[in-house]
Amino acid sequence: MLETRNLDKSFGAVHVTRDVSFRLEKGERRVILGPNGAGKTTLFNLLAGELIPDSGAIMLAGEDVTSLPVASRARRGLSRSYQKNTLFDGLSVEENLGLAASIHTGFGTRLWGDSLSRPEVREIVEDVAAQVNLQPYLHARVSEVSYGVRRQLEVGVALATRPRVLLMDEPTSGVGPEMAGAFHALLAGLPRDLTILIIEHDMDLAFEVADSITVLNYGEVVFDGAPETARGSDLLKEIYLGSWEHA
Amino acid sequence: MFRHTPLRYIALALLAAGALFQAATAGYFGLEILIEILILAMLVLALDMVAGFGGMVSLCHGALMGVGAYAFATFGGILGLTPLVSLVGAIALTGATAWVIGAVCARSHGIYFIMATLAFGQMAYSYVFQTPFFGGDDGMGGIERLDLTALGIDLTDSRSFALFCLGVLGLVYLATVAVLRSGLGRSLTGVMHSEQRMRALGLTVWRVKADVFGLSGMIAGLAGALSAMHIMYISPGLLDWTVSGEALVVVILGGLGTLVGPMIGAVALVVLKHELSAITPYWHLVVGLLLIGVVMSRANGIFGWIEAQIGARLDKRLNDITRPQPTEEPRDA
Repeated sequence: MLETRNLDKSFGAVHVTRDVSFRLEKGERRVILGPNGAGKTTLFNLLAGELIPDSGAIMLAGEDVTSLPVASRARRGLSRSYQKNTLFDGLSVEENLGLAASIHTGFGTRLWGDSLSRPEVREIVEDVAAQVNLQPYLHARVSEVSYGVRRQLEVGVALATRPRVLLMDEPTSGVGPEMAGAFHALLAGLPRDLTILIIEHDMDLAFEVADSITVLNYGEVVFDGAPETARGSDLLKEIYLGSWEHA
Repeated sequence: MFRHTPLRYIALALLAAGALFQAATAGYFGLEILIEILILAMLVLALDMVAGFGGMVSLCHGALMGVGAYAFATFGGILGLTPLVSLVGAIALTGATAWVIGAVCARSHGIYFIMATLAFGQMAYSYVFQTPFFGGDDGMGGIERLDLTALGIDLTDSRSFALFCLGVLGLVYLATVAVLRSGLGRSLTGVMHSEQRMRALGLTVWRVKADVFGLSGMIAGLAGALSAMHIMYISPGLLDWTVSGEALVVVILGGLGTLVGPMIGAVALVVLKHELSAITPYWHLVVGLLLIGVVMSRANGIFGWIEAQIGARLDKRLNDITRPQPTEEPRDA
């Protein structure tokens, strides 16, 4: 469903992504691990189209999308959530979901009629609100709900575009252990045919939800395999404890 | 996202009642002032649509109004088209011009967007000023008003023309609200909050900006055509950046992103201008001080200040009145 081929990206003399290649099958859930500065968010920005790689290719469902802009990739089914909330604070939770759903259904550019009252949009809003447990907050303004609810909405907005591939950048960033537990259940409840790539620091979440794990360090893939293998990996421990050195 | 509140309905009703009263009772000079206010209100509605709901602070809306006025005068005076066809043509041409400007400027933000629109506006001004076809700095005269005699309306009469402009302003307001509440308008608000997120959701951001800028240009073109009909003469000064600057002052003075506020700002500016200019030639200083006061108060213009002072209290009181009261349960004996 999603494949990267020898992705490379530098900012001046800083080489942030080095020859990154991996492949996600349909419905696969892969977690990207790595210490701060490993190049995880840069990789997401390359996949989403917010950055263009210096070399390499990105394939989405067999199509080369490397040179396509962000919106075109999104329309092809690649959606993302952000590490820092990028919600529309002045709008209600329902309007946030509705905005995403109306873009997906094509009503977001129509001149006449309220897009949020369209049955197609309403159906997506209600469906996604149920998926990410937002029904009690639908009419609340985003600025009035808790941080944890905003993180759920961040994922919900990405889901409201009905993606084929969902990129989640640290979905549990800044939430407490209880909320992180709720996110485990939330991820487990998402449709199994949805392909998910997650950047995560929470090891428990990573090992619980991942079908496969990719570890990045200094922009390169240093581990790619099953969670069970990663769990016992000395390399992973070394990277997180800081004794691993880049060659 | 644009929302009507009880206070906004009250303000709209008061504005409409005041305009109707003025149209019914004022003499020639009073009607001229009213028409000036109504045309300026149209222009600032167009500007508020893009600046208040899309973050596109334009300094070319005066020029767009000028394009509408010159197109109307050219279609009627030189090409010999009827005033109605000229009006439709002027609105369409101005909308198309605005769409192109919006499409080109959509990738810039903040001060760069302002400067890019200023450049477009000044290019239009210079072109018209130096082109003999458009009369150069002499401008163009002999412009006809719409002929609505078939409907029993004589627009050569100032009172009828004022009422006509009031009706058109009402329709423009309703159209603006409809656009802002449509899918396109909601997407525009989303773009103002976060372009990055809207792109990531699959929206072609520049297209949304260009489309709304084009619609806003159509309103500015309509205001320009009405201005040309009003004075029956136009000059390049109509396209000058100071007209755009004055419209921006009115929007900020009234309340950016409220639609109602800019119309109040139009009333305030025109009335102040006429009243103060009779007393002192330095009336600009008073308007300047007022603008500084509004900006320094951190209120969103005159109407924003009113909304902050009484809007929330009014909403709460209405909610208390309309909320169903709990009924007392009958007690068991």
